[in-house]
Amino acid sequence: MKTNDTKLTAYALNELPETERQAFEKELTPETRKAVEEIRALAGQLNAHYATEGETCLTDEQRETIFAAARKKKEKIIPFPRYVWMPLASAAALAGIILYVSLPRISGPTDRAVEVAGRMESTATPTDKRIRTDVDPFSSTPSVTRPKMELKKPAIKMKKSAKPKTLRRIARGRPYGKRSDAGAVSLYMSADKFEKTDCYGVTRTDSLTARPWGPSIENYAEIRENQFLRVINQPLSTFSIDVDTASYSNMRRFLKNGTLPPKDAIRIEELINYFDYNDAPPTGNTPFATHLEVSSTPWNPKHKLVRIALKGFEIEQSERPALNLVFLLDVSGSMNSENKLPLVKRAMTMLTRQLDERDRVSIVVYAGASGLVLPPTFGANRQAILDALKRLEAGGGTNGGQGIELAYRTALENYNKEGVNRVILCTDGDFNIGVTQGGDLNRLIEEKAKSGIFLSVLGFGTGNTKDSIMEQLADRGNGNYAYIDTFSEARKVLVDEMSGTLLTIAKDVKIQVEFNPALVAGYRLIGYENRMLKTEDFNDDKKDAGEIGAGHTVTALYEIVPTGQPVNGIPPVDELKYQISDSAPVRSDELLTVKLRYKEPDGDTSRKIEIPLRNVERSFESTSDDFRFATAVAGFGMLLRDSEFKGDLTYGQVIEWAQSAQGEDGFGYRREFIELVRNAQAIGR
Amino acid sequence: MDKEKWISSLVKRYERPLCSYAFSLLHDFERARDAVQDTFLRLCGQKPEKLKGREAPWLFRVCRNRSLDILRKEEPVCPLSEPQEASLPSEEKTPDEQTAHGDLSQLLPRFLSKLPKNQQEVIRLKFQQQLSYREIAHCTRLSESNVGYLLHTGIKTLRAQMINL
Repeated sequence: MKTNDTKLTAYALNELPETERQAFEKELTPETRKAVEEIRALAGQLNAHYATEGETCLTDEQRETIFAAARKKKEKIIPFPRYVWMPLASAAALAGIILYVSLPRISGPTDRAVEVAGRMESTATPTDKRIRTDVDPFSSTPSVTRPKMELKKPAIKMKKSAKPKTLRRIARGRPYGKRSDAGAVSLYMSADKFEKTDCYGVTRTDSLTARPWGPSIENYAEIRENQFLRVINQPLSTFSIDVDTASYSNMRRFLKNGTLPPKDAIRIEELINYFDYNDAPPTGNTPFATHLEVSSTPWNPKHKLVRIALKGFEIEQSERPALNLVFLLDVSGSMNSENKLPLVKRAMTMLTRQLDERDRVSIVVYAGASGLVLPPTFGANRQAILDALKRLEAGGGTNGGQGIELAYRTALENYNKEGVNRVILCTDGDFNIGVTQGGDLNRLIEEKAKSGIFLSVLGFGTGNTKDSIMEQLADRGNGNYAYIDTFSEARKVLVDEMSGTLLTIAKDVKIQVEFNPALVAGYRLIGYENRMLKTEDFNDDKKDAGEIGAGHTVTALYEIVPTGQPVNGIPPVDELKYQISDSAPVRSDELLTVKLRYKEPDGDTSRKIEIPLRNVERSFESTSDDFRFATAVAGFGMLLRDSEFKGDLTYGQVIEWAQSAQGEDGFGYRREFIELVRNAQAIGR
Repeated sequence: MDKEKWISSLVKRYERPLCSYAFSLLHDFERARDAVQDTFLRLCGQKPEKLKGREAPWLFRVCRNRSLDILRKEEPVCPLSEPQEASLPSEEKTPDEQTAHGDLSQLLPRFLSKLPKNQQEVIRLKFQQQLSYREIAHCTRLSESNVGYLLHTGIKTLRAQMINL
């Protein structure tokens, strides 16, 4: 009998509770007694076997790190890494499944070995440790060795139209899938694979399948598309600007791989703001110029489309302020693939060419522990920076929280009042040790942001990109978030648009639009779903909002329903019987007024700007190139998101508008966009 | 109790067992050490009185979770050193030849490596780490009776193979 059999083993191994043990003992027969003897003999052999097994222990440095942490008692550490997903409501339910799926696989590492044979070269070598452990990550005052000054190098002029860029070629191979798992989490493992591995009795040949190993864990927070709102109910629309571009490059990665991106990976405002527009920079003393334009909506001619564009002032490379940059690099094991740490290194090597003797660069790495691998070094001392980069290797777990502490501390110690102080976090976003829970990490960052240090988050890699975590971090840390999938993207972010990425010219920029009810019945903001603010937040200087960098363009599009047209297809509700709106609409030919609030980069009180937009009738075809191109990008985003407002919009139309609005396109980004739309069109079929 | 002392005594006591356990999951010394270091770092965030009496299962459980995280997170790489018996089956002597040479000690690891992985894991936790069923259950997130069953089945298989010689 099975239960009794199990009990027999438990008895032999002294695992039965005392009362049960006594009862069981009485029932023993000579036969079962013999079995007990055998089990105990085997147990002895097993004990002996394991006792002779080769042993390993921690390195002295690792032990020291632990003892140092023990001395530092107040370290906040979250017990279980899995919960890193928990704050993400949409992913939470699925997290358990992933764990379950990956668990049996892990118990069978030898199977895995067969699947991935031939990857030996990438195995971490023991030297990986060097970087992480030769610096005491916990010492409160990192020893700063002052580097010798090198000869002055001429500053490199940075102008966007400098040279045309070679175009990235887009794979146009046969698409193999329509949309990657639209949910927050996609599992590559098929059901039969799951079953096979679940029962553990996998033979080695069983697992010789070409399927990617394990689950791919990419997190995207759900985006609920902004709806049409009635002006009668909500005359004000308030949101924070967003200069992130990550969603675009992430979308590009999917399309180049022949799949449509998950819906929630598409943030339309980030697609639009990926591009550089030709709006005129400011002439007065405001940090940015505001441009408004209106026409009919191409996908719904009865509606109007309004473009609001902010253009930050531009700074010549030679006039830019000094930089105090602290690179915070994730060197955990997961960064060990060609499109991660090696790409980070190449990107940074490229950036160092832009630096000179005014600037200071430090590098903090974090994995299981964190350390300062490059103490603050003058930008002109390029060799020292390059040497430090060369030494970087990936390996170990990811303690984001601790590294962030050290990075901000380093930035603060070298704080340059006149210059730019910024932490640049390069990661795949998978924090799993230390302060990891979304809320805690966000609070930590928010706290640090108050010290006047800005944050840039550069996301790398695929497979476990925690898009939503990285976006939130940048959001909280007064920063921007870019996703770097290719070398050209690294160049765009760190070189071509370096000043936009690094030099914040205004912070907490909020937009509030007031619509004129005499002319507008309803409106819908395209994108910016996770940037919406409450009406009262606009005048509240304590409420955080987005930052704008030098030369940045921020574009927002509103689809507007003129009076007399139904909003969402529903006629207006009856007038209230017990409340009379005492104020008749003011007579005005203005469609709307855009109100902006912003703070100086180091300021605490905001300033306000108001710009009205007059109602004009204009066809879409007669609008500016930038208007049509932004509309094309928005339309593409709506198609990828399968928006309920896309009407009869087609990829073909998007291509047509984009082609008509290609303009100068010095870097070829717009051409690449058209290629991407073609890719999507091919996959969508 | 002084926390520093508490930590250092636990490091002393469990460093090697945890390393070999992590190694059995990760098949790589470097990463096993990382997992163990992380485990102890996390221990530093715990209150001694809270873990009193269940330090071992706590450590093994965290170590296990860390190892699984590393496995899940990292791209799979070929283990640096696989157990010999798993990688060199053809060149080995047959069981009969080995018995003839009185080489019984070579057979046990070989039979062990043929067991399903989950049975191997609980057997290791039981006989290498001397954990109780309950502690193993806590570490592996299985039920106690499930642990008992896996151990029983594993031992039964091993016993049958040893007897059949």
